[in-house]
Amino acid sequence: MSTTTEMKDSAGMFQDWGAWQTSFLKEGLTNLQRMTALPFLPDKMERVRKGVTPRELVYEEDRLKLFRYIGKGGVKHKTPLCFVFALVNRPYIFDLKEGRSVLAQFVNAGFDTYLVDWGSPTRAERFLTTDDYVNGYLHNVVNFLRERTGQPQVNMLGYCMGGTLSTIYTALHQDRVRNLILLAAGIDFATRDGLINLWTDPRYFDVDKFVDTMGNIPADFLQYAFLMLKPIANLIEKPINLLENMHKEEFLEDYLYMETWLNDNIPVPGEVYREFAKYLFQQNLLTQNRLPVGRHTVDLRKITCPLLNLMARNDDLVPCSQTEPLNDLVSSTDKEKIIWPAGHIGLAVSGRAQKELWPRATEWLAKRSQ
Amino acid sequence: MDDRMNQTLEQAAAFQKLWLDTFGGMASVWSQYSPDAPPPEEMRKMRSGMLKAVAGAWDEFIRTPQFMEMMKVSLNGALDMRRMARDGINKIHEQFETPTKEDLDSILLAIRHVERRLLEALEGVDDRVRTNTDRLEKLAEHLAKANGRAAKPKESVQGLSKEAGARTEAAGKRKASTN
Repeated sequence: MSTTTEMKDSAGMFQDWGAWQTSFLKEGLTNLQRMTALPFLPDKMERVRKGVTPRELVYEEDRLKLFRYIGKGGVKHKTPLCFVFALVNRPYIFDLKEGRSVLAQFVNAGFDTYLVDWGSPTRAERFLTTDDYVNGYLHNVVNFLRERTGQPQVNMLGYCMGGTLSTIYTALHQDRVRNLILLAAGIDFATRDGLINLWTDPRYFDVDKFVDTMGNIPADFLQYAFLMLKPIANLIEKPINLLENMHKEEFLEDYLYMETWLNDNIPVPGEVYREFAKYLFQQNLLTQNRLPVGRHTVDLRKITCPLLNLMARNDDLVPCSQTEPLNDLVSSTDKEKIIWPAGHIGLAVSGRAQKELWPRATEWLAKRSQ
Repeated sequence: MDDRMNQTLEQAAAFQKLWLDTFGGMASVWSQYSPDAPPPEEMRKMRSGMLKAVAGAWDEFIRTPQFMEMMKVSLNGALDMRRMARDGINKIHEQFETPTKEDLDSILLAIRHVERRLLEALEGVDDRVRTNTDRLEKLAEHLAKANGRAAKPKESVQGLSKEAGARTEAAGKRKASTN
């Protein structure tokens, strides 16, 4: 009996040993594949395209550029759709790559689609305020689109800080906006779920001293702040993931496109940063209908157009609790919110959002556009 | 003990908690090590567990008032250093009679103030034109009604108002070009 057990034990040991050897061999081969892929990495990085859908420049003002996206199917809806992105990153996240483009979704659905690229501010722009962006640049873009298309109103889609700017614009110029779509837009800054809200607490952050010393807020500072939202995931796990998967073509392409965009921050004009930090993050004036923008005060109750409020459940940057209250603050009767199981960026570019969320959003807009 | 001392001790305690949580979490992951499984897979599992434990401890730490206090002190220190460096450079510029960053900023700010005043004046004119146009339209309608004719004068007034609107918008487009 004992001999049989011993024999079984030895067989088990050999099996384990065999499995170990196989796994070491597999790991060794995979490592070889990783090492072989490494020399091609710089070349692949250089090939990353910043935007994939064909487009034409239609309007330019100072650093701002307005692009029109050209689809194959032609325009079915007359009301132009204007994408507004944040001032902290480049807007090509809307058009990241083939099959991951929010812009392409709308272009292919027959919308006359435009994108505002704010450009990168220089020291000369450090005194530009939210008023200049909203009542200056954005207002001029909307007027240009009205003139160009002959339509009295435009549809507006704002993402992140661009969503906040679009909301402010709509509240101030409701007559010019037909439908408003927001993606992870910061509205109610009273919540302490988001780390940025905690870090900008006036007890710990002297925004005036910061802006007075720095002028424009450097892109690097913003980049570090974003990295620090998830330090272990961003600084340790992500590079390990890259090393482990760099031999997988699809993973590498997604990784490079995403990282190129994430590291492509631009400075924020000092005064805009001061106003956002002070009036929104520290005093939360937008939800109280007391936000001053130039000579005007933003009153969210003046928003009456249809509203589609999209937010991401796992958003570290703009948590749902910061976005969700908007639907109760506006006067619109036609309003909808969707909480999507994704992160801040996944809301726009994840495979599932592209397959399920964006077709739903285009349908929503199509029903409400001319 | 004074406040400063208390604050330092609290920060030290928070830091100690962070490292205790980190190492405690990592150790508990190692207790799940199974020597029978193939090492590469097992190591991967251990690594992922350890990183999860570390991430949990750090995510908690960066929300503490102690971390934010440390962040405030280091940021203010960096800003003070930058100011001191700039003051030094400004003194050199003064000696050579070349413009400093402050000089350039003050010029930009002056332009900005002039621009702001002009824009506000323009907006005021725009508002006045709009109000007068509305009044004229109402007057024209009233006259047309009184004369029993079709409201033809309205068209001419509308044309005038459109022209005025276009002019103001064109002025708006030029806005900020001086920045």
